[in-house]
Amino acid sequence: MKEKKKMTPREKNEAIWGLAFVAPTMIGLIVLNFYPAVNTVYQSFCKTGDFGKGNTFVGLANYSKAFADPEIWQSLINTVKYAIIEVPLGVVIALLLAVFLNGKIKGVSIFRTIFFLPMVCAPAAVAMVWKWLYNQQFGLFNNILHTNIAWISDPKIAWISVGVIGVWSIIGYNMVLFISGLKEIPGDYYEAASIDGATGINQFFNITVPLLSPTTFFIVQTRVIGALTIFDLMFMVMDKTNAALPKVQSTVYVFYKYTFDQGNKGYGAAIVMILVAFIMVVTVIMQRAEKRFVFYN
Amino acid sequence: MKMKKVMALALAGVMALSIAACGGGSGASTSSGSGSADAGSASSGALTINIWDADWTALGNPEVKVEVIDWDNYWTLLEAGASGGQLADVFWMHSDYSQIYMENDILLDLTDYIAKDGVDMSIYYPDIAAIYTRSDGKIFALPKDHDTIALLYNKALFDEAGVAYPTDEWSYQDMYEAAKAITEGTAADVYGYALNTSNDQDGWYNYIYSYGGNVVNTEKTDTALDSAESKAAMEQVRLMLTVATPQAIVAESGTDSLFQSGKVAMITQGSWMINSFYTAENSKDYAWAEIPYFDRNGDGACQKDERWSCYNGLGWAAAANTANPDAAASLIEYLCSKDAQIKQAQLGVTMAGIPGISEDFANAFEGMDVSAFTKVEENGTLFARPGTRNSGKWQTPMKQAGYFLDAWQAPENPQAMSDACDKVAKLIRDCIAEEQQ
Repeated sequence: MKEKKKMTPREKNEAIWGLAFVAPTMIGLIVLNFYPAVNTVYQSFCKTGDFGKGNTFVGLANYSKAFADPEIWQSLINTVKYAIIEVPLGVVIALLLAVFLNGKIKGVSIFRTIFFLPMVCAPAAVAMVWKWLYNQQFGLFNNILHTNIAWISDPKIAWISVGVIGVWSIIGYNMVLFISGLKEIPGDYYEAASIDGATGINQFFNITVPLLSPTTFFIVQTRVIGALTIFDLMFMVMDKTNAALPKVQSTVYVFYKYTFDQGNKGYGAAIVMILVAFIMVVTVIMQRAEKRFVFYN
Repeated sequence: MKMKKVMALALAGVMALSIAACGGGSGASTSSGSGSADAGSASSGALTINIWDADWTALGNPEVKVEVIDWDNYWTLLEAGASGGQLADVFWMHSDYSQIYMENDILLDLTDYIAKDGVDMSIYYPDIAAIYTRSDGKIFALPKDHDTIALLYNKALFDEAGVAYPTDEWSYQDMYEAAKAITEGTAADVYGYALNTSNDQDGWYNYIYSYGGNVVNTEKTDTALDSAESKAAMEQVRLMLTVATPQAIVAESGTDSLFQSGKVAMITQGSWMINSFYTAENSKDYAWAEIPYFDRNGDGACQKDERWSCYNGLGWAAAANTANPDAAASLIEYLCSKDAQIKQAQLGVTMAGIPGISEDFANAFEGMDVSAFTKVEENGTLFARPGTRNSGKWQTPMKQAGYFLDAWQAPENPQAMSDACDKVAKLIRDCIAEEQQ
């Protein structure tokens, strides 16, 4: 087996067809994902001209400007704050719902459908509805509670209000994943535990939570990345003249502002590269944590 | 004739209403049919264009496909199309962006077509024609329309508060006193006035020019926003804000929605928004007065140079790389011909880009007197919407925190407004300096 075996005509034929079948996906990825990604890296080192013409290389100028810009740092803080609301609450609420809806309740499928519905709605439509629910003058919340709270205009609470929309939108999706994870746990464990006299709560923390940890880890990891790239909620819910915007706008929002509002694509690319680096660091940390906290049986 | 796709990407909002004017902040901020448009208004805009298109097609021309896109996304899409060489054949141009598009040869040069077909450029408003003429004299778009600003008020709310209706002889001080009486008389249940930082062309720009200041000078080389005149104007704005709806509420709901909900008695608004109020539920309560003036010489009467209204106009332009330049140019010439513009005025879409068609426009709104928009052209002075080469770079930030938004948030503090004027002036100067590099 020293020499590489030559492919038989049949193997060759299979290889060609194999490549032909993955080609559509590969071409799609290269044209729509890889090329723009590489181009973004390149643009982040450029002072970009109008309409993508006349880019001039400026080295790290965009990066040094971005690092010195408090707006960028504030937006990173805002993004992390959003993730701190969305990910833990989205996971915990979804887990509890999944456990309840995994039991024998009347109309389980109706409840599952209701909780999953937000996932089916267009995010922009969801944001528009919430925007009017939150409205200080005409909003449903203030009318029901008889309050006069500026839900999305007070810098102190606007980030929470936006985070709540994120949680509401995502629990259905997380819940479905948890339910499928719960189905994987053999019923024997619960049977043995109840014979030994474990209560439901004991069972939840000692059987369900550890055995569900691979699912939990998957959800946490994907949702952290999702939350760190949040854009549409802020964009749809908050007006550009909203005083709370500087304390709520995400990094992607700032990227959008510079790239499309102001036509400064080089600076926008640098901002997004900083975000990518940040997400990479977070992902590496989470991968390390996986070994400690996740239990594969 | 082979059917070619001539797409007219059109900014919605000419006839358009915007349910939530603040829906897209910048939408409300920019003019000439740029009210931030929701889906409903978009379709009404499309309808209008289709009507002309049908006529044009009946003359033996290719069929036209119309796409309507809201203001915020329009420029993102147009820019992406221009960068990728996939522009629509025919589309609208706006003063904020015309220069950058002309300089990069994105637009079809119409100069030869105009000469060949004998289009008389002198019939158009000169300021608007100038927006679409490059420094070398080449013409890249024909004026589609023009707009002016007037004061809109709700008669029912004035009656309830027992305050006399606005008149065409009102000064800004008269407006302040009426707004104050209404706000205080109703214990701030109804506010006399509402103005957001994004109400520039339809709002505080007009104060500045009436008081003798400017936002960008006519040569586009400097700003006088930090001059004594401009600061006096913005001080008057600040005074109005002390009796106006708080900015936080305005940013959430938009001045138009607040007005239509009967929560605000007066706003200033542009002619491109008339239809939105004409078709509103309580439109019988609504009336227009001329935009107030500032009595510069103190003689108690309004002279021509004391009443200023911003004006602007869209242009019809074509893509330089269109597959069918002859048809595109022919469509533009048709759309900007006197006949088509009269039709546009009669339908109440918007005021024509050609002077002398005001009558047709005023008659389009039966039961609502919109002469305030045309009277200002005779007894006042019009100024073109101020802009520089890349206006977006300062026009968006100046409405946000760190600039005018801070002053809007603290209307009781005169220093905040004065500081904001200085900061915005610096912002504009920096942008101009960067553009000239």
